[in-house]
Amino acid sequence: MSERVKITIDGKEAWVEPETTILEAARTLGIDVPTLCHNPALEPYGACRMCTVEIVGKGWSQLVTSCNYPIRREMEVLTASDRVVRGRRMLVELLLARCPDAPLFQEMAARYGVGRPRFETQQADLCYLCGLCVRVCHERVGAKAISFVGRGVEREVATPFFKISEACIACGACEFICPTGAIKVSDITDKPIRPLPLEFDMGLRGRGNIYIPFPQAVPNVPVIDRAHCLYFQAGTCRTCEEFCPPHAIDYSQEDEFLDVDVGAVVVATGFDPFDARDKPEFGYGRYRTVISGLEFERLASASGPTQGKIKIDGKVPQDIVFVHCVGSRDKQQGGEYCSRICCMYTAKQAHLAHDKIPGSNITVFYMDVRAFGKGFEEFYDRVRAEGITYRRGNPSEIYRRGDRLVVRAEDTLLGRTVEVEADLVVLATGVQPRADAAEVASMLSLERGEDGFFQELHPELRPVDTKRRGIFLAGTVQSPKDIPDTVAQAKAAAAGVIVELSKLRRKAE
Amino acid sequence: MSADAQTKIRSPEDLAQLRQELQRLRHPERPCLAICAGTGCLAYGVNKVIDAFHAELELRGMADRVEVLATGCPGFCERGPLLTVRPQGIFYQRIQVKDVPEIVEETLIHGRVIDRLLYQDLRTGEPVVHEADVPFYRLQRRDILWMNGLLDPTRIDDYIALGGYSALLKALYTMQPEEIVEAVKKSGLRGRGGAGFPSGRKWAEVRHAHGDLKYVICNADEGDPGAFMDRAVLEGNPHSVLEGMIIGAFAMGSRQGYVYVRNEYPMAVTNIGLAVEAARSHGLLGEDIAGSGFAFDVAIRRGGGAFVCGESSALMQSLEGNVGEPRAKYVHTSEKGLWERPSCLNNVETWANVPLIVNKGWEAFAQVGTEGSKGTKIFSLVGKIQNTGLVEVPMGVKLREIIFDIGGGIPEGRPFKAVQTGGPSGGCIPESMLDLTVDFDELSKAGSMMGSGGMIVMDDRTCMVDLARYFLAFLKEESCGKCVPCREGIARSLEVLTRICDGLGQEGDIALLQELGETLQGFSLCALGKSAANPVLSTIRYFRDEYEAHIRDRRCPAGVCKPLIEYWIDPALCTGCTACARPCPEHAISGDKKMPHTIDLLLCIKCGACYDICKFNAVLIRSGESPSPLPGEGSGEGSVPSLAVEA
Amino acid sequence: MMEPSAVDRILERHGRDPANIIAILQDIQAEVNWLPEEDLRYVCRQLDVPFSKMMSLASFYRAFSLKPRGKHIVQVCLGTACHVRGAERIADTIARELGIHAEGGTDAALQFTLETVNCLGACALGPILVIDGEYHGGMTSAKATRLLAQVKKAGDNGHDDNGG
Repeated sequence: MSERVKITIDGKEAWVEPETTILEAARTLGIDVPTLCHNPALEPYGACRMCTVEIVGKGWSQLVTSCNYPIRREMEVLTASDRVVRGRRMLVELLLARCPDAPLFQEMAARYGVGRPRFETQQADLCYLCGLCVRVCHERVGAKAISFVGRGVEREVATPFFKISEACIACGACEFICPTGAIKVSDITDKPIRPLPLEFDMGLRGRGNIYIPFPQAVPNVPVIDRAHCLYFQAGTCRTCEEFCPPHAIDYSQEDEFLDVDVGAVVVATGFDPFDARDKPEFGYGRYRTVISGLEFERLASASGPTQGKIKIDGKVPQDIVFVHCVGSRDKQQGGEYCSRICCMYTAKQAHLAHDKIPGSNITVFYMDVRAFGKGFEEFYDRVRAEGITYRRGNPSEIYRRGDRLVVRAEDTLLGRTVEVEADLVVLATGVQPRADAAEVASMLSLERGEDGFFQELHPELRPVDTKRRGIFLAGTVQSPKDIPDTVAQAKAAAAGVIVELSKLRRKAE
Repeated sequence: MSADAQTKIRSPEDLAQLRQELQRLRHPERPCLAICAGTGCLAYGVNKVIDAFHAELELRGMADRVEVLATGCPGFCERGPLLTVRPQGIFYQRIQVKDVPEIVEETLIHGRVIDRLLYQDLRTGEPVVHEADVPFYRLQRRDILWMNGLLDPTRIDDYIALGGYSALLKALYTMQPEEIVEAVKKSGLRGRGGAGFPSGRKWAEVRHAHGDLKYVICNADEGDPGAFMDRAVLEGNPHSVLEGMIIGAFAMGSRQGYVYVRNEYPMAVTNIGLAVEAARSHGLLGEDIAGSGFAFDVAIRRGGGAFVCGESSALMQSLEGNVGEPRAKYVHTSEKGLWERPSCLNNVETWANVPLIVNKGWEAFAQVGTEGSKGTKIFSLVGKIQNTGLVEVPMGVKLREIIFDIGGGIPEGRPFKAVQTGGPSGGCIPESMLDLTVDFDELSKAGSMMGSGGMIVMDDRTCMVDLARYFLAFLKEESCGKCVPCREGIARSLEVLTRICDGLGQEGDIALLQELGETLQGFSLCALGKSAANPVLSTIRYFRDEYEAHIRDRRCPAGVCKPLIEYWIDPALCTGCTACARPCPEHAISGDKKMPHTIDLLLCIKCGACYDICKFNAVLIRSGESPSPLPGEGSGEGSVPSLAVEA
Repeated sequence: MMEPSAVDRILERHGRDPANIIAILQDIQAEVNWLPEEDLRYVCRQLDVPFSKMMSLASFYRAFSLKPRGKHIVQVCLGTACHVRGAERIADTIARELGIHAEGGTDAALQFTLETVNCLGACALGPILVIDGEYHGGMTSAKATRLLAQVKKAGDNGHDDNGG
């Protein structure tokens, strides 16, 4: 074990392991040393010189870059001496002259009191050759698609012969790590650049290879997407493993298959939302401003892709149309049954939209309004009182006119066709049995109804039991239902389990 | 190439025996024509001279009795091609093919001296017959260069005959590695490449570093413009460098060495390559060197045309097959260098000093030089100097002596203005400081540095602002571009200087240059950036008035900066010979025969062709005078202060 | 473009060692007068060197040309000693004569390439010109022009050595 070394930075003392860099020591002391080419996941490069500090001794001092200076003996360091600050200001001035449009340097100039550079900008650039993109591509990603070409002021980041790179895997690390936005993946490769969709946000935003699936995930820890993780694909990177403080990352983890003897099973496998692309007349999947009910949920959620602001492509819609019964009560698509939740969730969504977008015009096209539950009718009244228009009619199609949408429907109360223009259309997509319902049913030897939902033993008297003793149903696996009903059914299933298990225990004794 | 076959040396006795045999064969009385065949004389066409001698001797049936020895560069480049007729030591300079028959007839056959080929003392005009009496050589102390005129660099036997490799055998058989390191330390030898780092200390660091794979490297990437000491040593006496490296490798425990030669020195590459092969076949390189059991080998590598690769960490990157990007040296390369292993990198001249230290002993070596700078240093004296060439002197000699006594002073009697030492990393030293001695610390104190030894002498026709601009343009080309201060700071300094030279300088530009200089010095990654400001800062320090003339008066006192000068023909001196009109690429000169000519300033591109050719010194350069003079007006002295520079 | 077998010979000569990449590139350029992209790609595949690194190397070192060079290589020394003796004027003259940029380049007919070099170490003879490996000292603009005319007239000089 090596002896720790004392370092004093700006008057604060720390004891560090030998070979710790001055920058690392400063950060543990909470001292902010500016850097422009440093990244903890990459080898220190020492190119920007911004992290320069002054080591002071008796009658001497030395300027060194803190990012790569290893502490080996006791020393005293100043991170903002006059000499250091003068140099930093000149560096910022030089960089601002090179990259006048980079917000990074504009901010630094403001912070260090650097005015207009005394040097002419011949050709404004955003790249200041920090090398972060090149280094991440070589050191972590391993694709080595880009490099520094030329030398001196002619130096630039480029692909070989400035052609589209064959080696680039379109991982986006270069674009991600660039401090000024100088490099774009589309400059390097012509491979399609597709962000990985965050499933919980309905693909409305992307996610990385390591992500927490949703805020309330249990356990609330990140997972690695093996299909796209660089380590699993190419054996490179491993940055997450290096940086996880409790060393929790273990790439060798595999799925475990357990054999468990149980006395009861509760099937609560949920539902799939209806895919509105199956109703092409509504333009879902074709028009970006036609969205599903779940997508609206995510837009409206404070933890969603837009932090709760209703906007598409940065624009806030003023005219919104909600359409009931998409994929429900439908002889051709989806199911003939009523999905039960849509009338109320649409009313809720209309209310939210009205609340978040003052002055908005909101129309709901309905066939019926099934406000059956406790307080539901009152809520429906309130929503209409807020000025949201309910029109009876089933839209026949939705099409684009200019940059707006037009919802065409037969208003049955007016007795004529109406066309309502909208900036946003929300389709109240219904509830469907899961795609793998047949598989699960066969595995458990359970029956399903005509509509595909799992069959309860008796529709009135035994709503949570199945034909098989000890197997219970809970939630939308059995039929569409909302949250209060699901909870009630879950409790009922649990009660059924308790009864069954106590019977078995008594038998065993 | 070595004439005989594989005479493997397996002991000091073998070497001594071989030396005796070779010396016997060399017939001290046998006539020998030692002709410099270094790169410089090659450019003079010396190959044709050598061929002519061979042909002439053949013709006269003397080919087997007279040796024609093509030697390395002895350093008197101004007077090349050089010939020393031995054994008399008669020294002929500026010989040409047409002189060959006469030399053979008169000097070789009849023993008579040809006066017109002798060197004439610049001060007395007296001819000097013998090489040893030529002041240029006599005033030097040629501890390293003495062999250059005595051997054929492609023949190891010549080197051995002159005592070569005796230091190596002495080291291998009578000294311990630690002892050798101590000797180098005590000798006070400091790196000759520019930084002047104590070599013994470096050797000790490498010797004591962890790891059993260590490297010794010879830095022959002599990039300073105007410096060619290393070229002469490596071309002219490659074995001296090799011997030093083998001794060093033995002392430090290295098995593998590299010589990194810049791409622009093809002859040096060839000659060190031949030397390595010859050493191998004589058992002086490779396994079991000279029967001592020590194994060491050397590989030759060429540079790719990058000045920055003279910097040690960049050189090592280049050896690894990477671009020559320097890296931080907070951890010395003696600890982690080539391939992260302990590496000792030394300059060519430094290595060449090692056999000397071993043979003479460190005490004798330390007798020469000053307290802080021991031994001799080779300088390349170039520029506005009578005797351009290589000058080797003990440390501590005054600049004045080098420039005026050995160098012969400034041609055409022009006044000395400044001498640039240390190349683009160094600074200029003005006339008032000519009594400075060549010593690492003395020169640093004066704001310059010893550098690798380039000494560029300037007269009143050199513009110091243009000089600073020239060096910055050089450095801008050579900057690797990695760090911000060097890449951006040098380019911007060059912009400011170019503005000043173009007559667009502003108040505050000098202060701006100084600010940029401070950032360069303190914040650059490597020595290229750190020292880039030296030429600017030293010229500002000693020649501030020139800067101010450019900025405030739009005037170039030396008559150099094109936008600030104009060419003018003095009608009083012009004879109308029309010699100037013909070479003018823009046909800007007009005038009838025998009548004064004039230059149309709107067409003149200031190429200087007329200035070069006028035999009557009638073409003048003026700066700062306005308006332009009309034909027939005055004779050069305008009402506004100007410098009429004569052709 | 070289025959793969010819490139292989060069690779063998240097032990197929990526550390010797500079020497390998120099040998290729000595044979075909520049560094064609296909040959560089071949070397990369053979030595398992990323192509981006090859690009860095070939563009960093001034000795290498990624564009075809002329039959005759004309090098002007711009070292300090040559500079104070007017080397820049000579470079300008030559550039004008050949129709090339003064900083260096190749003429349209691929007959001449002008390169500037930072000191060849023959400072006594400055300004120096090296044409196809032959050194010429004591140059002036006029002498340079005459020399170029000689080269043009002589056609193929027979000197392919691009050393220096």
